[in-house]
Amino acid sequence: MSWTLPRYVPRSAPVVLLILTAAAAIAFAGVGHLVARYNANQQSRGRKLYEQGLTAAADGQYDKAIAAFRAALTCDPNSPQYQLSLARALRDSNDPRRLEEAESYLLALWQRTPQDGAVNLALARVAAHKGNIDDAIRYYHNTMYGVWSTNYDANRTKARIELIQFLMKQGARNKAESELLALASLLPPNPAAHLQVAELFAQNQDWAGALAQCREVLHTEPSSGAALACAGEAAYRMGNYALAQRYLQGAVSVNPQDKQSREMLDTSDLILRTNPFRSHISDAERNRRIAAAFAQAEKRLSECAQNNGADLKTLAPTTPLGALQVRWVAVKPDLARLRLAAETDLPDTIMDVVFQIEQQTATICGAPQGVDEALLLISQRREASSQ
Amino acid sequence: MTDSVAPPSIAVTPVEEPTPPNLSRRLFARFEGVFNEEVFFLILSIFIGIFSGLAVVCFRLAIDWTHLALLGPLPQAHSWRLVEVPSIVGLVVAVLVIYVFPGIRGSGVNQTKAALYIFNGVIPFRTAIGKFICSALAIGSGQSLGPEDPSLQIGAGIASALGRWLEISREKLRLMAPVGAAAGLAAAFNAPISAVLFVIEEVIGRWSAGILGSVVLAAVSSVVIVRWFLGSEPLFRIPVTTFKNPAELIAYAVLGIVGGIASVAFAKSIGFLRPRLKALPRWTQFFQPALAGLIVGLIGFLGAPQVMGAGYESMDQAMHGQFVWKFLAVLAVLKIIATTVSFVSGTPGGMFAPTLFIGAMLGGAVGDVERIFFPHLTGSTGTYVLVGMGVLFAGFLRAPMTSVFMVLEVSGNYEIIVPVMVANTFSYFVSRSLQAVPIFDLLTRQDGLILPSLEEEREETILHVEDAMQPPPEIILVAQDRVDANYGRIQDSPESVFLVRLHPAGWSTITREQLQRLYLEGKGERTLASVFPAQPTPSLYPDLSLDSALRYVNDYALVPVVNRADSSQLEGVASRGSVFKKYGSRSTIEVPMAE
Repeated sequence: MSWTLPRYVPRSAPVVLLILTAAAAIAFAGVGHLVARYNANQQSRGRKLYEQGLTAAADGQYDKAIAAFRAALTCDPNSPQYQLSLARALRDSNDPRRLEEAESYLLALWQRTPQDGAVNLALARVAAHKGNIDDAIRYYHNTMYGVWSTNYDANRTKARIELIQFLMKQGARNKAESELLALASLLPPNPAAHLQVAELFAQNQDWAGALAQCREVLHTEPSSGAALACAGEAAYRMGNYALAQRYLQGAVSVNPQDKQSREMLDTSDLILRTNPFRSHISDAERNRRIAAAFAQAEKRLSECAQNNGADLKTLAPTTPLGALQVRWVAVKPDLARLRLAAETDLPDTIMDVVFQIEQQTATICGAPQGVDEALLLISQRREASSQ
Repeated sequence: MTDSVAPPSIAVTPVEEPTPPNLSRRLFARFEGVFNEEVFFLILSIFIGIFSGLAVVCFRLAIDWTHLALLGPLPQAHSWRLVEVPSIVGLVVAVLVIYVFPGIRGSGVNQTKAALYIFNGVIPFRTAIGKFICSALAIGSGQSLGPEDPSLQIGAGIASALGRWLEISREKLRLMAPVGAAAGLAAAFNAPISAVLFVIEEVIGRWSAGILGSVVLAAVSSVVIVRWFLGSEPLFRIPVTTFKNPAELIAYAVLGIVGGIASVAFAKSIGFLRPRLKALPRWTQFFQPALAGLIVGLIGFLGAPQVMGAGYESMDQAMHGQFVWKFLAVLAVLKIIATTVSFVSGTPGGMFAPTLFIGAMLGGAVGDVERIFFPHLTGSTGTYVLVGMGVLFAGFLRAPMTSVFMVLEVSGNYEIIVPVMVANTFSYFVSRSLQAVPIFDLLTRQDGLILPSLEEEREETILHVEDAMQPPPEIILVAQDRVDANYGRIQDSPESVFLVRLHPAGWSTITREQLQRLYLEGKGERTLASVFPAQPTPSLYPDLSLDSALRYVNDYALVPVVNRADSSQLEGVASRGSVFKKYGSRSTIEVPMAE
């Protein structure tokens, strides 16, 4: 085989360079065609594998999904879609060692498109998996203000809700509260969204925030059972039993099957009926309520002792129940003096014994029911307001 | 122990003598002002890069396509396909190697080097084609070999063919192979600096400024081509790598030592098995690649398909902490076994990727173990994996500079340069102290060839003029002094030749007889300069190589050795006797023996 320039080709450097350029151009085009065909085949194969991966991931078969996404990536290594899906599968597989790889894929994607909402959301979830609050907040915020091809508002809201849930799970209540306030201020006039946010406020123990959201719904849908129940519960947890009673009555009338609202309503009724510190009641009524609460406390103490296999009369004063009995007996003579208006501290002194008995018996003998529950809640409310 | 030297496997095909360089002359005749051969060679280097880059793109597609067609996109363990495919393809490759493409066994680095130093730059184009087909089949079917070294040889083959086609001069034709090699390797690795350094360290085997420009141009143009078609994505997704505490260098040094020992084990297993398998009857060569395929396939079948093929995906996973340290260590050991059997069986394919694989796994394993004992270490698994790659490169291929730049180029992270340098240095020295001959030199010596290497050059003691020069003579004549004064100075001297200091600068020599004659002729009252036609003697400098003194000591009895800053200051003199005496004091020819 001869590997020399054919004799008929003129021998000069420009001609040779021209021939080489032409040969390079032809080879370039040929290889380009080859690569294009190869890439097309690979993309088609990759698409099939990708779909297999999506199906497996949807079924929770993450190992299978990861294998399929990896195979898809061998067909089209630069596909952001495949990389994102693989990263998600790696993250969701609950294998801590895979989180690093997921993060690596996502960071590479993020460097290319730092504004991409989906990539930021995936990164935020990785940070959340790792318990990294600062990174999670950063990526969730990027998600909220990032670019989404569809459903921008919905995705933004979902991302903030997810961030709030993560923060609450991490015990970062203050940060969660800030996000909740931001979320509440941006909510569309959508009852379902307000109720969802109310639920988040409730989870964060922010009952005032929850009540505000439920009231937003009641402005537009005054007979919404869910909103009435939500507002009732919020008011109940806040200790505003009169308001709770009003909302819970509405909730129960709209939805008589709502057992939880019914129970809270009953308790609210009891509290309103037994609370000696309620405003706008006469002195006589107050004294009657104190006497009834005092008698109920003795009853509760006695039952608790029995449940513990003891007799109040024989209990040593050094035991917790015995000590309570001693206090109760000591205060009992004061009941008779309630009618004297000069004794302004007496109601508090008597009710302190009652509250102490209710609180300690709740600890020793379990959660109380009925009037005892009402007295316990009144005691907790008193304590909270005095602090 | 000295192994029996097997018959050479390097392509000893009849060397096509290039036609006389008539075209070279005619090429530039009409464009003398614009083109000369040097300029043309530089431009040609770009074309070599382009063609090599295109060939490597096709080569990579061929490997991918073969892999997909034969093993599927993601081979899973416990599939019999993993055993069947490499075995059957091994048989096909053996037939092709024996009957169609003789001389394509092995990696291709040594063949390219042999082309440069022995075969006048000639690499038969058939070899490049054979390398392309057989390596693609072998690597695609799962043999534990890499595509980089074959790419290097394919590039060199294309360059050589182009040079012969253009009938360039023999001197330039010799240089075509390394230029093409750099282009091929750069394209395969997507790393032009490492490719250039590797070609200098391993193919050319010596620093040569004359070819550097062409090598760089070819490497860069081939990388541009590959990135054009295949994208500029790096071989791996590089994780976040950090180096915070200098005390951690101890941990990297340990990795270097472990890597050095592993490199020696790898090199020795190849050095031991290769000549023995080659010495077996010829009919066994039909089955050796198939047997290697069977072993590699069984390793994959039994649970480690990661060792099959080049293994870049697995390196990527190791870099991201996907494997526990025990599995990483197992993979490193299995890869050494798999690559050894694949390579010594004569299956065409490279050792770059397997070396990186072993280093990556070993690095990850060592790093993880170190962190168990020293939890405060901040280096991530990915950092150790990256450093481990360089460690094996330095220890096994014994290319220390390439190993450092390779890690930097692949990772794009200069933060880990110190750990890489420390670990590589330890690995290199451990490997050198346990195995005197680098792997590529060992392979060429097993083939009965001795080629120059940079490591040899590094170890060679170079003699300088200062090693052979004698102290300045006590008597130095002055050309501006009278003849009788100069004659008086030499009366008590036993020397027969004297140095003469010329005015305003320079040196000459005069013999006792010449000076005596001038004196006896009655020219004693005249200056020496006026009666003796001075023939200036060339001067030497102390730091020049002693070889440069050889050019003068035959013609001049005394050669002055002067200070570079002040040529009038005499440092000493060199003479034929002193130079030859110095050369005679050391053995000049050391024929290295195969291990």
